[in-house]
Amino acid sequence: MSTYVYGITDSSHAGLPEGMEGVGDPPAAVRVLKEGGLAAVVSDAPEGLKPKRKHLLAHQNVLAEAGAAGAVLPMRFGSVAPDDDTVTGVLAEGADHYKERLRALEGKVEYNVKATHDEEAVLHRVMSESPELRSLAEANRQSGGGSYDDRLRLGEMVVAAVKAQEADDAAELRRVLEPAAADVSVGPESTGWLANVSFLVDRKSAEDFLAVVEEARRAHPHIELRVNGPLPPYSFVEPGPAQHAESGVGQETALE
Amino acid sequence: MTVVPAQQSGGGGGSSGLYDVLELVLDRGLVIDAFIRVSLVGIEILKIDVRVVVASVDTYLRFAEACNRLDLESGPNKSPGLPEIVGEVTESGARGKSKGALSGAAETISDAFKQSREEGRQKESESRPRARKSTSSRRKEEQE
Repeated sequence: MSTYVYGITDSSHAGLPEGMEGVGDPPAAVRVLKEGGLAAVVSDAPEGLKPKRKHLLAHQNVLAEAGAAGAVLPMRFGSVAPDDDTVTGVLAEGADHYKERLRALEGKVEYNVKATHDEEAVLHRVMSESPELRSLAEANRQSGGGSYDDRLRLGEMVVAAVKAQEADDAAELRRVLEPAAADVSVGPESTGWLANVSFLVDRKSAEDFLAVVEEARRAHPHIELRVNGPLPPYSFVEPGPAQHAESGVGQETALE
Repeated sequence: MTVVPAQQSGGGGGSSGLYDVLELVLDRGLVIDAFIRVSLVGIEILKIDVRVVVASVDTYLRFAEACNRLDLESGPNKSPGLPEIVGEVTESGARGKSKGALSGAAETISDAFKQSREEGRQKESESRPRARKSTSSRRKEEQE
């Protein structure tokens, strides 16, 4: 029977609630493997595990509980070892590294912030800032919507203006939120959001961080902000140089 | 036994929060070479979809149309801050539409996510009409 791994904790970790259920259908019982000063939160791995909502949620729930009781290094979804011995072997081998990461993340939680534009509000904004766009739109309106080419031209300009606004707003959000966090990790870009940034926040100052988010929300009514947390520090388990170089792009603003 | 997740969602909350968290579960977290990872075929496709930058003719036309519909009567001469109009637009249901072209690709999403978003939308459409109704009935009362 192979072993599904949720995360790594210190062996002094307060543990999980009785009867914690993991991935699988029916859900597998979550257990703890100890090795040296470390512990791995695991369960039996179900056959043919797929990334279904139910299993993803189980993974997240186990880690949320573990994270609430002490520092945890969350594994990415779907990590499976051939057996328990392989897991304890990994703990023994990487003990120094994992202990260092656990110490660094002690008392810290992740808040993920995603920002999108309120479409109509942002259109109002870019139009109000550009006389050119306004006159083009007005001309189109007066000619009953404008020709295909007119509409294409207007749309292209509007999209460019909205994209520029997205970049401005993403930079502004980071500038405002970064000082309230201990670390920052920028998520993948996509058209689904204009900013997808995770912040590592001291559990004790979480309220301060959320207050800053609230302030940003009020100050920028055309931006919709979704905040999720406190979460296990998914984005901060391996602050390798590559990740930091990526997140550092265009971020000289914090010190200004 | 059911275990309630320990994390809470601020702001957006609800099931859109679920989507946001699942993205982290799938894309971040520790990866250890000695462990294999279960096949995430469907999910990899999702990620590619989401990262495509949409700049198509369709997008342009849609935005042009959105601008033609936009009532700028009170907009052009006002400050870029657009105090009242933004608030009004936001409250009167633009929120539902805002997921349109700006985040079109995010809609092409695996089952896990689709389900949660649909629930979110249902919740929105359930609460909106009620809110609007109460406003208009209040207005009626005031007139009487």
